[in-house]
Amino acid sequence: MLSIAAVIVMADYFLKIPGTSAVVTDLQNWGVILSAFALGFGAVNLFYVHTRHISRRTPGQWPYSIWLLVMLVLFTVVGVSLRYTGPEYQWLYNSTLFALSATIYSSTGFYIASGCYRALKARNSEAAVLMIVGLIVLLKNAPALAVAAPVLVTMENWLSAVPTTSAQRGIMMGASLGAMALGIRTMIGRETGFLGRLTEAER
Amino acid sequence: MLVTGRIFALGTLIAIWIFALVSMMMAKKKLPSFRKLAGLDALPEMVGRAAETNKSVHFTTGGGGSLTDPVLPQLIAAMAVLGHVSELCAKYGVKVVYTVFLAEMMPIATEVMRAAYIKEGKADAFNAESQVIYMSGDQFAYSSAVQGYAERERPAANIMIGPFYAESQLFAETFFRVGSIQLAGTARGYQIPFFAVVCDYLLIAEEIYAAGAYLSKDPAQVGSIRGQDLGKALALILMILGLLATVAGSPFIVNLLKM
Amino acid sequence: MSKQEKNIWEKLENLPREFIYGLLLIAFILPMINPIGLPLPITPEVKKWYDTIEALPSGAAIIIDQGYSGGGEPECGPFAVAVYHHIFKKGGLRVIGVATTQEGPLLWDKAMAEVNPEKYGRKYGVDYIMLGYFSGVETAMAALGKDLRALTSTDYKGASLDQYPIMQGIKGATTFDLLICYTTGGDQSEGWVRQWYTPYKTPYLCNVLALMMPTMLPYQKAGQIVSLTKGAQAGEMELLVKMPGRGIASADVMTMTGLLVAAFVVIGNIAYFAGRASKKKA
Repeated sequence: MLSIAAVIVMADYFLKIPGTSAVVTDLQNWGVILSAFALGFGAVNLFYVHTRHISRRTPGQWPYSIWLLVMLVLFTVVGVSLRYTGPEYQWLYNSTLFALSATIYSSTGFYIASGCYRALKARNSEAAVLMIVGLIVLLKNAPALAVAAPVLVTMENWLSAVPTTSAQRGIMMGASLGAMALGIRTMIGRETGFLGRLTEAER
Repeated sequence: MLVTGRIFALGTLIAIWIFALVSMMMAKKKLPSFRKLAGLDALPEMVGRAAETNKSVHFTTGGGGSLTDPVLPQLIAAMAVLGHVSELCAKYGVKVVYTVFLAEMMPIATEVMRAAYIKEGKADAFNAESQVIYMSGDQFAYSSAVQGYAERERPAANIMIGPFYAESQLFAETFFRVGSIQLAGTARGYQIPFFAVVCDYLLIAEEIYAAGAYLSKDPAQVGSIRGQDLGKALALILMILGLLATVAGSPFIVNLLKM
Repeated sequence: MSKQEKNIWEKLENLPREFIYGLLLIAFILPMINPIGLPLPITPEVKKWYDTIEALPSGAAIIIDQGYSGGGEPECGPFAVAVYHHIFKKGGLRVIGVATTQEGPLLWDKAMAEVNPEKYGRKYGVDYIMLGYFSGVETAMAALGKDLRALTSTDYKGASLDQYPIMQGIKGATTFDLLICYTTGGDQSEGWVRQWYTPYKTPYLCNVLALMMPTMLPYQKAGQIVSLTKGAQAGEMELLVKMPGRGIASADVMTMTGLLVAAFVVIGNIAYFAGRASKKKA
């Protein structure tokens, strides 16, 4: 079934076959609906996992589980009863999830700084090249320096346009071919890694 | 019948299918050889270190994507590695913990890990509740949860295979700080540099797709990797021909690709 | 070389994380509290983005993917807000918003609250509309491109699309003049290339995180993206549309922190080589 659906969708992209377009549109719309249901599955799972933590009084975990479930219920009740486009939901989102997400994401800046300090050392020739390129890109992305030293802009533009883009193209092509090969193995049933490795005898 | 502008793409797709299928058939007679993938060869060493230090192995597939995304192949590839890691961990009596972002992955991962433990004859040692832990479906809530896990449990090894977003940097640095030996692999090009800078072993892009074949040595899977390499050879030939044709002033290859 | 000198180089090579983070925090906070007003160049990519929108004829339809998450809002949000200012100031354009992330509609509301389209005389349902979140990323993009009206019949508030004049004539990708995507996820930015540009050749403007630029550049160099910018270039767009905001305020921070990190890298290297030299002498 998986292979048939995949072939139909691919055929619609390359061939003009009367009737397939409507079928593919339906398949795509079903895909959107299924992925929306998967979100709900995540919420149910969260409920299940944390209810167990509370009932078992898991040390160091169960107070946070209570808080999580309170917030989960609050968001759901406010979203459903007062609409998720309303100001109440917006306030709830801005005060909690948005603020926390932005904070955690901002912490990557600190991690990158310490990572750069530790890793950009000219221990050998390759590391030296990495360090020089890293410094050029870092300094070019400081706007005032880009104005003060336009040569940085020229160098960084060349680095981005030539070696970086070429390498990325190679990586993208390799990754795409790899995904295609995995897709072929999955469609013909030879990719068993995600199904568990037991043979009939082992069962 | 054929859509203009996509004829060459269709031809290339069919060619790659043929390469893959023929290679899979030929691999049954003679198994092609792989170049060394240091990261995958290091898996026994990583699990061994966890056994010596009496600590766990942590596995994650990242805080991004879903089963309907184009990143699904990465998740499938990650499950192949998870299965192999679970077999090693079952063999050496090491606890492997998979922290889950996508709820849909839980039953898949549970089945993969359970099968691995059964294969090693240690079915009783597997405890899904403590080894397949659903953290959160939100990227940064998941990141925080995994970082908290790293700080508390201090696993000996951290294996990160799959589609990663910004949490790649967070995970790599945190697990580095707690002293874990790390293997990372992703086909998300813009996360590879973060892993390259911090992790001990790295799988770049297509290497994660080859992981299942490399570890299992299944002829069909290995053959498909050979087919994929033939597809790459075709791309290289086209690139060189295109370069030569463009330098010579001929738009033939460009027009062929636009067909 | 004495033990004391060797220790200095070792210490400089292994500065504590807390020290680095502390200095970075100061470099973040000081320019925000006390803006320095350092110069900010307008790059060709941002100018091209601006010119692309400026060249749109009256009545043109733009589909905008509000595809960034709350975590990425500080980077992509200011750029998006500046572009909305531009679009609404210019007038005569139809903006149809969609979201490929769950937080998209909420962040759209946040952006609209910041922009206040009504002050430009723009009206919801006439000049702009948000259709809501579509799950499935590329599956959703493909479905939207084929037949948007088959995928949804309401806006994100649940009201029927038939009542909104902006939706007249809007069916699929071929009815749009421009596609804009603000995103923190490669699935979205690359997905629109595959699902809209490749089959329908819809002109595509893309704004991503700075770290995503190397991955997206191949598409821009191949002509699949008209202009590729990063969220950090929000200050430049604000200068062009003459609406100073968070982007310009962040420009000083970017300069100071960039210089600080570069200084750490240089110090680390000096300490490494000096330490090696002193070990050899000893």
